Amino acid sequence: MKRRQFNQFAATAAPALAFGLATPASAQVKEIRMIESGGKSGESIDEYIKPFKAATGVNCVRESPNPLGKLRAMVESGKITAATFELGSGSLEQAKKLGLVEPLDWTAIDPKPMFPEARNEYGLGYQYFSTVMAWRKGVKTPANWTDFFNTKDFPGKRVLPDYPNYTIPFVLLAEGVPVDKLFPLDVDRAIAKLLTIKKDIAVLWKAGAQSVQLLKDNEVQYGIAWSGRTTGEPLIDFTFNQGMLDISYFCVPKGTPPAEKALAMKLLHEMTVPENQARAAMIIPYSGCSPQLDALLPKEKIDQFPTAAANKAKQWLQNPGYWLANGEAVGKKWEEFKLNL
Amino acid sequence: MTRSGYTFIAPLLLLMFAAFNAPLLYMLGMGFWSKGGGFTIEHYAALADAPVYLRVLAGTVRVSLVSTIANVALGYPLAYWMRGLGPKGQLVAVALVITPFWISVLVRTYAWIVVLGNAGVVNSSLLWLGVIDTPIAFLYNEVGVTIGMANVLLPFLVLPLFAAMLRIDNRLLQAAASLGAPPRTIFWKVFFPLTVPALGAGALMVFILSLGFYVTPAILGGNRVTMISNLLDKLINEIPRWEQASALSTLLLIFTFAVFALYRALDRRSAA
Repeated sequence: MKRRQFNQFAATAAPALAFGLATPASAQVKEIRMIESGGKSGESIDEYIKPFKAATGVNCVRESPNPLGKLRAMVESGKITAATFELGSGSLEQAKKLGLVEPLDWTAIDPKPMFPEARNEYGLGYQYFSTVMAWRKGVKTPANWTDFFNTKDFPGKRVLPDYPNYTIPFVLLAEGVPVDKLFPLDVDRAIAKLLTIKKDIAVLWKAGAQSVQLLKDNEVQYGIAWSGRTTGEPLIDFTFNQGMLDISYFCVPKGTPPAEKALAMKLLHEMTVPENQARAAMIIPYSGCSPQLDALLPKEKIDQFPTAAANKAKQWLQNPGYWLANGEAVGKKWEEFKLNL
Repeated sequence: MTRSGYTFIAPLLLLMFAAFNAPLLYMLGMGFWSKGGGFTIEHYAALADAPVYLRVLAGTVRVSLVSTIANVALGYPLAYWMRGLGPKGQLVAVALVITPFWISVLVRTYAWIVVLGNAGVVNSSLLWLGVIDTPIAFLYNEVGVTIGMANVLLPFLVLPLFAAMLRIDNRLLQAAASLGAPPRTIFWKVFFPLTVPALGAGALMVFILSLGFYVTPAILGGNRVTMISNLLDKLINEIPRWEQASALSTLLLIFTFAVFALYRALDRRSAA
């Protein structure tokens, strides 16, 4: 059994064994746990854990994946097994509404300078990622979303996210809706447009890796994908132009013991340090929340990063508030759209 | 059962209740519960407001029916053929049917992508032979889902069916032949009726398992084919609306029980 597996096993087994016994008065915390989204993104978090461990002597164990349902189960059962939990911007709003997260202690975090939108009462935006248009090298290059959704002049199969929040805004951009007028979204108009090209929508992806794999296999020729996946793929081109910038947050589950929360605040502090962000960005080409990060990134790779000044200017920011109010209703329309596909 | 029998089985019953039945009851209850408000039927009312969920349920039933039919069409001849083999041949055939059982569903499902993809074995062979000009779309539609599900579920039909066929007394068939019945008549009048209960049981098993499929439709259907489990996953993990998921699961459970009751009724009639 690998160490991490063992730790996971221990985490599950230990509470079961302790069942019925009184919890010992909070002893010195030797380890905290986090739940994150996994993959390369998870590996990049080690660059924040290392300095955290050096400063506090406490280790942080990573666990994945991070569905919102897991957070709800944790909070409602009263068994908080992780001091910090990664959530997408929309999920964070949901979690706030359901009362699943605690306000952060920003004084304790004592953050280095950060982009204002990454600082939330309940979450620290630690990672910026972009949703972009990508295509196989060799096909006709789309200049904007209108081209991307024009299957007549840009023939080829499409792979789109099976998440309306990552797809519908782009369809409306293609329809000529200006960025500042996108929200509230005209969902019906977007779906009507998608249905006109339904023959060319080959796959709806759930996992980020799928979009890139299908492009590589030539199963599809155009796709909406996450920039960190398309970067460095020899067969794939993409552009940040009109891309959607979004943020992943770390938050604290409601009911986390104060001692663990205090440690989590120290870990979150490391996530605001630009030098740590620069190292994390070498593992996965997403970027942290520091406006000073650009200067620390290698010049020849700067155009790969979502928050590089030139790229950030080309993109627009996801609107989590809209999805909080409308997510479920749009989700139903999306299921209906899939039945008509 | 004697009293000591119950003593021995009690730990298992207790475990089953605590680990399986109790959570299920909790799940059923959740569908009638509103946070802080007590009993409610709002989650069921919401289902009626969102016919899309019911349409997904109907779609699931349809895909399950198609894959059950595909399973019967493939599995019955296979089991029949296996019955005619010698003992060694039967052993090999059973081993071949069982082998996929030992491989993860995930691996098998991904294997189909290699086989059926645009650049997959089947399409490249057909292209090379000149049978087709453009690759056939096997994947990311209901065809792909049906093929994948039939592959995963085939042993559930073939094994019980094969066992039932082995139990059929050859002398019955010989008697029919000695009375002058042609092979076709022997099959339809004697052999087939004897296999119907096992066929029904196997097909029902396949159908019920199909209703809960998650991985295969997600991967081979390219998420274009939504099954009820995929929808439940969304309601549980993404939104998360457990109460709605509970109401939907309850409907699915009732439907499954209804199918099962129907089967029992048919089974009893055929036995009588």
